[in-house]
Order: sequence, then C-alpha cells, then structure tokens
Amino acid sequence: MPVFTRTTKNLILKIDEFFDDIDLGLLVFREGIKAYLDKDMVAFHRHLQKVDSLENNADRLQREIENEMITHSILPQHRSEVSALIDELDEIIDALKSSLNEINIELPDIPSSLNKNFISLTETSINAAEELIPAARAYFKTPYTVREKLLKVYYFESETDKLSLSTKKIIFQEMDELDLAHKAHLRYIIHHIENISDLAQKAADMLSGMAIKIVM
Amino acid sequence: MILFFLTSGLFLGWSLGANDASHIFGSAVGSKMVSFKKAAIIASVFFILGSVIQGSGTSHTLDKLGSINALGGSFTLALAAAITIYMMTKFALPISTTQAIVGAIIGWNFFTGNHTDSKTLEKIISAWIAGPIIGAAFAVLLYMLVKWFKNSSKIHLIRFESYVKTGLIIVGAFGAYSLGANNIANVMGVFVPAFHLKDLDLWLFSLNSSQQLFLLGGIACAAGIITYSWKVMQTIGSNILELSSEAALVVVLAQALVLFIFSSTTLSNWVVKMGLPAIPMVPVSSSQVIVGCILGIGLYKGARNINFRILGEIGIAWIISPVASGFLTFFLLFFMKNIFGINVGSLINPSAVASEQTSNLATYGQSDVSGIIKYFLLGLLIFGTLGVIFYALLENKKRNEIQRSEEKFWKNLK
Repeated sequence: MPVFTRTTKNLILKIDEFFDDIDLGLLVFREGIKAYLDKDMVAFHRHLQKVDSLENNADRLQREIENEMITHSILPQHRSEVSALIDELDEIIDALKSSLNEINIELPDIPSSLNKNFISLTETSINAAEELIPAARAYFKTPYTVREKLLKVYYFESETDKLSLSTKKIIFQEMDELDLAHKAHLRYIIHHIENISDLAQKAADMLSGMAIKIVM
Repeated sequence: MILFFLTSGLFLGWSLGANDASHIFGSAVGSKMVSFKKAAIIASVFFILGSVIQGSGTSHTLDKLGSINALGGSFTLALAAAITIYMMTKFALPISTTQAIVGAIIGWNFFTGNHTDSKTLEKIISAWIAGPIIGAAFAVLLYMLVKWFKNSSKIHLIRFESYVKTGLIIVGAFGAYSLGANNIANVMGVFVPAFHLKDLDLWLFSLNSSQQLFLLGGIACAAGIITYSWKVMQTIGSNILELSSEAALVVVLAQALVLFIFSSTTLSNWVVKMGLPAIPMVPVSSSQVIVGCILGIGLYKGARNINFRILGEIGIAWIISPVASGFLTFFLLFFMKNIFGINVGSLINPSAVASEQTSNLATYGQSDVSGIIKYFLLGLLIFGTLGVIFYALLENKKRNEIQRSEEKFWKNLK
C-alpha cells in the first residue's frame, strides 16, 4: 500500500529538489550576469558551469518525477497538469542556461553606462521567476495561497517589460555612438533576459488554473 | 437436479458481483486512484471472506415479506432477480439486488396468492428513500471534514493522496467484506434449508453446509466482479460527477457508515438509552446510498458538474427494476408450474412445506456435492497460485524493462 512504501517520500523529495535547482539556477544566473557586467569572466564561467549542471540535474529529476508518477499511479487526476508545470519550470532553467551560453559565445559589448539598467532588468526578471517557486511549492501544500503568491510574479513581469522598453529606448534613441548592429545585438540580449519573466508568467497562468481546480 | 437448482443462485451471485459489488470500488476506480485490476482482486477476496465468515441473517427481513416454501420457487425467484440485474447491468445502471429480490418476492406472493406484509414493504421502501438522503448528508459532512483537515494540516498533496489511496483500499476492503456478509444471504439464503452437505475439512479449518453454499455464492460474485463490473464502476465513479480523490474516499466511507448505522443493533440500543427513538434495522440498498453520496457532494459543490441525465436514468431504473423483477417472476413461475410441472410453492402452511421440501431434498444433499466443492476449491487454489506467480513474473519483467530502458536513455544521453 502507498503509505507503507518509500515512493511517496522519494517523489516529494525529488519535486523539492527540482524546485531547489530552479531557485538556485535563478540565483546563479543573476550572479553570472553581474559577473559579466563587471568583466569578471572567471566568475562568469564558474556560474555558467553551475547553471549547466543544475539544468542537467533538473532534466534528470523531471524525467524521474514523471516516470514515478506514471508507474506508481500517483496523482492520477492532477498528473498531467503537474507534469506540464514541471515542464514549464524546466523551460525557465533551460532559458537561463541558453542565455548564459549565448552571452558566453557572442560576448556582447555592453556599455558601462547601461550596467545599472541591465542589472535592474535582470533583477526584476529573475524576481518574477523567483516568486513563482514558492507559489509552485504552495500548490502542493496550501493551494488556496497560490493565487496571492502569483500576484508578485505578474507585478515583476510587468516591471520587467517597462524596464526592457526603457532600456531599449535609451539604446536606440539616446546612444548615437553605437552602430545599428551593436544596438540590435543589445536588444537581442535584453530579449533573452526579459524572456525569463515571460516564461514565469506563462507558468504562473497555468499554476493559477491548477490551483483553482484543486481548491474547488 | 439439486445442482441445477443452484445455478440460478450462482447466476444471481454473478449479477450481484457485477452490479452491487462495483459500488464499493466504483468511486475509487472512476477517480483513477485504484486500478480496476487491484480493485477487482481486493473486492473479490474480501467479498468471499465476508460471505463465508459472516454470511447470515439478512434473509430474515425478506422472509417476513414472503416466505418461499418450495425449491422450484426459490430457483425461479433467483433467476428472475438475476435476469433483471443482468439487464440493468447491461445498460450500466446501478440497481440494488434487494430491489430485484423484493420485486421477485412480491411477484411470487401474487402468483401463489400469499399475503404481502405491507408493514415490512413500507419499511423497506421508506429505507430506499431515506438511504440516499442520509448518505448524501453523511457525504457532505465527511467531505467538509476532509477538506478542513487537508487545508488546516498543510499536508503535502502527494502524501495526502497516498493516505487517500491507502484509505480507499482499506475502506473498500471493509465495504466488500460487509457487502459479502450482508448480501450473500439474499443470493444463497433461499437454498440453505434445502442443502445438507457434509462438513468440508480444509486442513486448517472446516466449512459447514451453509458456509459451503456461501463460498460458492461468493466465488460466483467474485466472477461477476472480475468479468462484468467495469462498466458500472465507470458509471458510479465518473459519469454522474467527476470525483476528486478525497470525494471518492468520502463516498465509500459515507456508504459504509450508513450501512453500519442501519444494521448495528448495538448503536440502536445506545441511541434508545440516550432517550432518542430507535434506529430501524432495515436493509439499506448500497447502490442507492452511493448514488445519494455522490449527489450530496455534487450539490455541495454547486450542482454545476452533476450529470442529471444519467441521474434520471438511474432513478427510472430504481422504479423499473422491482416492477420488472416482479412481473418476470410471475411470468417465469407460470411457465415453471404449468409447462415443466415444477412445484413453485403455494398458500399451504409454510412450515409444513419447508419441512417437506427439506426431507425430500436431504437425500440429494448428502451426495458428493461436498466432494465436488473440495475438488473445485483445490483446482481454484492451484489456478489462483499459478495466476499470482505468472502475474508477479510479468510485473517483474515489466519493471526490469523500464529500468533498463531508463538506464540506456541516460547512458546514451551522456
């Protein structure tokens, strides 16, 4: 019987570990961007490697969680939704890894005058995703608190949009010393950072629906 | 000949298994918390245990309604009830064996000119109405309690579901045991006086004549559960209302509680001691209670998701089944008596007929039926053991294959 097996405990631990990986990945990404802006490439590479290993671990956990839920018939009514949520969260850590990798390959030249804007943009975008993790954890323990927790995700996502627009405006309208290719490249990096909060919002929308269903 | 008469009882047992027993695990299987395979095995085992260990008593209430005083009558009555249940099961509608039997007994009373005890009938019909209402009230209260526990304890969803799953298995097993104990007499009770089998020594324990009959009836019910209960389980579990896991547990628990309250003399005596009116000891239909429970939860949730069309069909089936069973019994008794010349009972003093019937059939009963049952059980045991070993091997093979494919995947990925 399920109560007498370790499957439940193991699965709970794996889901927690998965959330921890995403949480840590967000933290490391923020530090990675800061290190890049500070031109500290050693720290940047260290952070990149860390995000890479976290993403690999998250992939493994995602697969194990989905397998265990199917083979042990756990959460039969919510299984597909939980799997979809984990997929969405995994996309966030995938985006963190690919963004850092692209920065590592393309080595964008970010003017130091934009450092503050980029840091704010990264902070806000990461905050949106970070606020998603407690909401996702709450889904399993206190689903009736999920929606109030998600409010912050929506707030930070809209703030990210504003910061992204203002930064792009500065780049394209105030920085005449940069050529168009450089501007386009900076816009591309901004899109990468902004994308994290968009993914968080997408997951939040899904989580919000799941929470209503489980509370009803 | 006596074994031939028994076949209608076994058919009724099969119908009971296919229909009534599916109510126990219907909500669990419908909500996908327990697989049909697991539910069928647990329900079968515990139904047989309940039948053999505690299968007695409830036929007395039906005796009051009409005492069948010939084996041919018992055979026809059981056959009519079984056909009615089979037909209802065919349309995936949950009906009650008690309803079919009550209808059949009234049909027999009409045919033989016997008087139907209107007080007992009133009691039974009022229980048919009260059962679902009480079930709905219990279900709502339990549902509120479970919801409150879930919200206030902040238990992890996966752990909560594992408790619910374990609870469903335990409550379902208990429900199947109770159903076997209470309903097997409806199936085989009419045959008990006619059979006098030798005690069957099974090394560790022995079974008396009625226990052997109950065992056969239990096995017939188990066959019904395994072969034909899937459709009714789906109707109960998902067609009326999509049930959440905790609602599934609440439904089974509420049903068990209602059945317990209406059959516990200890509880009734305690209520009387408290200065309250006694709880009537009336057989309550499990199918009606469970539909009431599901409806109660549906109404508590706002009645938006209730499938009223299915509910209407079930309601009509509840009215049709006793009537159809009564008419069918009357029709079959006519054929049995006038075409085959079988004694199906009469208005003569019931005790005299019963003793005559018993004395006539005792000689058949002493034959080798016990020996047949013994070899049948031995065969069943061997096949059962082989089946379990084969199933375990298959499961093990499947697990190993999944593990191998997983290892291969990660190896290739690296």
